[in-house]
Amino acid sequence: MYGEIGNKLVQHAKRTQALAHLPPYQAEMVRAVTREVRDLDKDVAAILEPLSGSFNPSTQPATACALLVNHLCMRRNKRCLLAYHRVRSDKLEEMCWSGIDVLERQQEQAHKAGGEGSNTMGVDGNTSSLSPEEEEYVRQYSDLLAAYKGQWTDIDLTGNLEPPKDLFIDVRVVKDAGEIQTEYGAITLTKNSQFYVRQGDVERLIAQGYLQRLG
Amino acid sequence: MDIDDLLAEVDNDAVPQETRDLQELTRAWVAERVAPELLPWPDALMERVGGRIRRQIELVEDQTGNMDPKTNFKLIVIQTELERFKFLVRSFLRARIKKIDTHPLHTLSLHTSSPTLLSPSELQYLTQHQALLSQHYASSFLSQFPAQLQRLDDTAGGISMVDKPDEDAAVFCRALRDVGQVVVEGTDRRFEMVRGDVSVVRWSAVRRAVLGGDAELI
Repeated sequence: MYGEIGNKLVQHAKRTQALAHLPPYQAEMVRAVTREVRDLDKDVAAILEPLSGSFNPSTQPATACALLVNHLCMRRNKRCLLAYHRVRSDKLEEMCWSGIDVLERQQEQAHKAGGEGSNTMGVDGNTSSLSPEEEEYVRQYSDLLAAYKGQWTDIDLTGNLEPPKDLFIDVRVVKDAGEIQTEYGAITLTKNSQFYVRQGDVERLIAQGYLQRLG
Repeated sequence: MDIDDLLAEVDNDAVPQETRDLQELTRAWVAERVAPELLPWPDALMERVGGRIRRQIELVEDQTGNMDPKTNFKLIVIQTELERFKFLVRSFLRARIKKIDTHPLHTLSLHTSSPTLLSPSELQYLTQHQALLSQHYASSFLSQFPAQLQRLDDTAGGISMVDKPDEDAAVFCRALRDVGQVVVEGTDRRFEMVRGDVSVVRWSAVRRAVLGGDAELI
């Protein structure tokens, strides 16, 4: 039925909103909906053709109704597709803001999936859950974000959005992070050690999962 | 004009610019986070705040390495203040970007009619982001659509594709000066807002008072 695949896509998008990661891109469905729109457009053209521009809706209510349904279905499908892509791109943008390297993570995942054998792969054997267009989008969006951030170097736009309470915090090292330079000299961050450091110095490392905040 | 107004004016001049800027920044930050639509970019204020943050950072960089406990303590105070300022600015900018991203086309059309809405870099971000998005949509599926369906700002079929913020959303608002009569559009409700009053009203009804500085959002 018209619009059914579009509906599925929207449901997909709804699920995506609640997930922490990005589920695989439904290339098959997107193609199907696009095909449906093209078919509908052809139908409309076919209906209109014999009438050669002299169409009067009030004399042929049946034809008018068919045209209306076709048009509405096309528009609805377009909205479904837009919604699906918007949800996904929003998610990707969010990842860019929180400093997750989406592309790198995709490669890691692909690598892991490859190691476990190919039985877990998607329909067309594509290991990345992003479409090529989305990968391109992420790349360009990160550039854009970096450019915007560059105008506010003092502020660090992607920094913590919790109001700062203390200048110094207790942290525990979860993963070896090597040596960092602070205003109070260099600190070597070895696993399982604890430090009392300036929050601004280690914020990045906390976000990347090297350090854990205590208390 | 009564004695309160006179006092308020005297107060305003006695408070140094820095303190007033902090107050203004906090106010702008709260308002931006609460108001349903994007507010005009406070150009002069951000200029001053940005300059001061830069100076303080330089000061901190100059003074570190000084092991005198007295200056050291002063530095900690300065750094704490600096972190808080940075947080305010950061949160403020992020709130704006979020709104810009939610209603890109609407914001863009508003900006063309009132060019103080966005800062230059925000405008640049918005246009580039929108270009990226439409390119993304186009290469993903839109380019295969029939030509009359490829637009992103279509208004045919009774539904506009350009999303607008809900200007009738309720906000908490405190009057800083006597606002006078507030009329809630679309209803026959009207009321007086006197200095110090706190009310929950539709944003559209108090927008003018807030933008004019007669009231603040809380």
